[in-house]
Amino acid sequence: MINSDRLLELKFSVLRGLAAIFVSISVAAILIFIISDQPGNALFQLLLSPLGNERQMWNILERMIPFLFTGLAVCVMFSAKQFNLAAEGSVMLGAFMAAMTAIYVPMPPIIHPIVSILVGVITCGLLMLIPALLHTKLGANVLVSTLMLNFIIQFCVQFVLVNIVADRSQGALMTYQFLETAGIPAIRFNTSYGLVLGLAMVVVVSLFIYRTRWGYAIRMVGLNKEFSAYSGLKVAGIIILCQVIGGMLAGMGGAVEMLGFFDRFRWRLLPGYGWNGITIAILAKNNPALVPFAAFFLAYLSRGAVNMTIHADVPFEMMDIIQAVIFLFFAAEKFLAGYRQKMVVKKAKRELGEDLPAKKGG
Amino acid sequence: MRGITKIYPNGIAANQAVDFSVRAGEIHALMGENGAGKSTLMKILMGLEQPQEGEIFLGGEKVSFASPQAAIAKGVGMVHQHFMLVPSLTVAENMVLGIEPKKHGVFFDRAGAVALTKEYSERYGLPLDPNAKIADISVGMKQKVEILKALVRGAKILILDEPTAVLTTRETEELFKQLVILKEQGFTVIFISHKLWEVKQITDRITIMRGGKSMGVHTTAGISEQEISRLMVGRDVMLSLEKEKAEPGGSVLNVRGLNYTNQWGNRMLKDVSFTVRAGEILGVAGVEGNGQSDLVRILWGFESPDSGSVAFEGAEILGEPQSWLRELGISYIPEDRMVYGAAGGASIEENLISDRAWGKRLNKGPFFNAGAIRKECDDLIKRFKVLARSRGQRVGMLSGGNIQKVVVAREFSAGPKLIIAEQPTRGIDVGATEFIRARMVELSRQGAGVLLVSADLAEVMQLSDSLIVMYGGEVVAYFEDTSALTDAEMGEYMLGLSKQSAEELGRAAHD
Repeated sequence: MINSDRLLELKFSVLRGLAAIFVSISVAAILIFIISDQPGNALFQLLLSPLGNERQMWNILERMIPFLFTGLAVCVMFSAKQFNLAAEGSVMLGAFMAAMTAIYVPMPPIIHPIVSILVGVITCGLLMLIPALLHTKLGANVLVSTLMLNFIIQFCVQFVLVNIVADRSQGALMTYQFLETAGIPAIRFNTSYGLVLGLAMVVVVSLFIYRTRWGYAIRMVGLNKEFSAYSGLKVAGIIILCQVIGGMLAGMGGAVEMLGFFDRFRWRLLPGYGWNGITIAILAKNNPALVPFAAFFLAYLSRGAVNMTIHADVPFEMMDIIQAVIFLFFAAEKFLAGYRQKMVVKKAKRELGEDLPAKKGG
Repeated sequence: MRGITKIYPNGIAANQAVDFSVRAGEIHALMGENGAGKSTLMKILMGLEQPQEGEIFLGGEKVSFASPQAAIAKGVGMVHQHFMLVPSLTVAENMVLGIEPKKHGVFFDRAGAVALTKEYSERYGLPLDPNAKIADISVGMKQKVEILKALVRGAKILILDEPTAVLTTRETEELFKQLVILKEQGFTVIFISHKLWEVKQITDRITIMRGGKSMGVHTTAGISEQEISRLMVGRDVMLSLEKEKAEPGGSVLNVRGLNYTNQWGNRMLKDVSFTVRAGEILGVAGVEGNGQSDLVRILWGFESPDSGSVAFEGAEILGEPQSWLRELGISYIPEDRMVYGAAGGASIEENLISDRAWGKRLNKGPFFNAGAIRKECDDLIKRFKVLARSRGQRVGMLSGGNIQKVVVAREFSAGPKLIIAEQPTRGIDVGATEFIRARMVELSRQGAGVLLVSADLAEVMQLSDSLIVMYGGEVVAYFEDTSALTDAEMGEYMLGLSKQSAEELGRAAHD
């Protein structure tokens, strides 16, 4: 049986997504016309140039890799309405821990990157216990504590990097090189097999969220916490679980990015992938299965923005503006709500007209 | 108001082409069951909701209100059922909230506020102490403050939303006298109520609503109470229910000496003791707010009492998690179905399995057994006659009665030995009400103990095998057999006019 309510909702959210993307790109276009001496070229670079050649396409896929992991991480946490922003810090910490393992713990090939990634994953899972327990035991606001946690991580990593593990023979601040056994091999150009792992995680997380009792509990806690507690679900445990999983996924993203693309750890600041993860989760409406599409869109846009910076006179930050506008329109519940209401009214009237024979049942 | 149609974002058509008109200087009753669309209609008149279709005329002039401020500017004011007052401020301060008189253009003129309150309170015969704090005055007083608030803001039409629901009999009589005075001074009153005798007593005309439609306007003198009830519910109010005599078995739930003080320091339960036996329905009657909901929250582990014990089949259950209560075989139909009973954004299927998602039957290894879940849900939807397009439909899209059937389907199908039913038929249609009551009786006759908490006197008297009455946090009466009880007798206990002796009450606690 076709479920017309869900269909209507889906139709509406796709429409809303496309409208938000359209509006944001229009805003970008207006700005480009204002600041650029060659607006036609700039727009071409931003929107169409990534289609140019094979190398560009592979670069988009390469950019997608960290987005996949952080997008999934944020989806899981937001599904339970836990507005945990520490995916950002987890990426950095996960990358750093994987780098340490890659430099200082010799292991045979294949096993080495796997173990390095796992070290990053486990560290970040444990890390998320801090905001989760602070929230469930003491009532600390997750949004605030994780926002601060990101900077604590950034400065802790910086401290260790500067004072303990820096390679003094280099002009810039960086660690020693990773052992050769630790790298994740490339599929083609710079795109590593991390892409395959990322897509595999999309499948795993989708199954987890929609086909297991834990995923079910996470979604129910997000939809109605009181109902979940009343039903006998262990709400505090679920709140902790979703954040630990979120941390593990984000940490995995950082580790994969580090071992797949770099040969030394040299991040001094938060890399930003966690924030992108929030944009992706919002675009995907917290549905893990939609994360690859949202991640691809963002990766495409970022490649376009790079081309625009190189070949035209508009800075890369234009991408942040586009993201910000998407963000605003998606977060604004009322955006197109009038149109949605019209759709609902039309449908309700049609049903009243049909005068359902089953109405007797109540 | 002409041709008002309102469809909410969840698709419920609360008003369908409703016509409603009130004459200046009359008291006009708006009657209808819960969910008939009265509140929606009044919210539209007040500018709190916008209709999809229809027009509003005020004194012949077409108006539309975008907000309550716009409505009050035209002289339409409302006294809400739940008072909109700031408890920590005084009567005078509440009176002028938002329209404060100013001294030197900046400072709050307290003396001016007090004088204004006094002036209005004398003019309309509503005696009040302007300097009393809202938190310290009685419910009846608070209502007077609300009425005066509307009058101070220039209301000519007063909407009273079930004003007597919270009042004592004496306060109600006083209110009626004041309403008549207001009417004589030329004010128009719209009086929302379900109580027949009140409406007969003070109103001039009646508009009756049923299922989102107007059932017409009648002069109060020209319509009988039976006629009104027939128009309201489309049949006789007393629903007939066949019920075999209960044969109570051993005790299932033993509550002993429960005391509870809430977070605001009010003593909500005083030494409450009773027993629910297998195979019987024990009713808890009483005017709402006399400790019933606190009692249930404690039983379900949402609050902990100051002292006392609660034993299920002999074992203490105070402080146990809800998952364990369910494991023991206790089911609970909560009063607030959209907060506790269901997740509106989740599907029927997801709502039906919330208590058994961890059960072996519905899982295969780490995954859900989709086939078993589908079968179980389709079966429950059929058995409990939930009217829905599919099990994937969102619960929030269903009507109140069908949402309640989803809740009941889950709770009754868990094989309960004890059912706590809190206002199980509140605000739902007659068909769903009858269905749920019949299932409840059926389960009790099969041996389950039922604790039925209901503010609906007819319901609690008709369904219960034995009954306790709560007043002011105490059990004030216990009736082992409800068949000989009269409304009048119950009323005495419910309003705190009488109380049984300790010895009589002791019988509620069976061994």
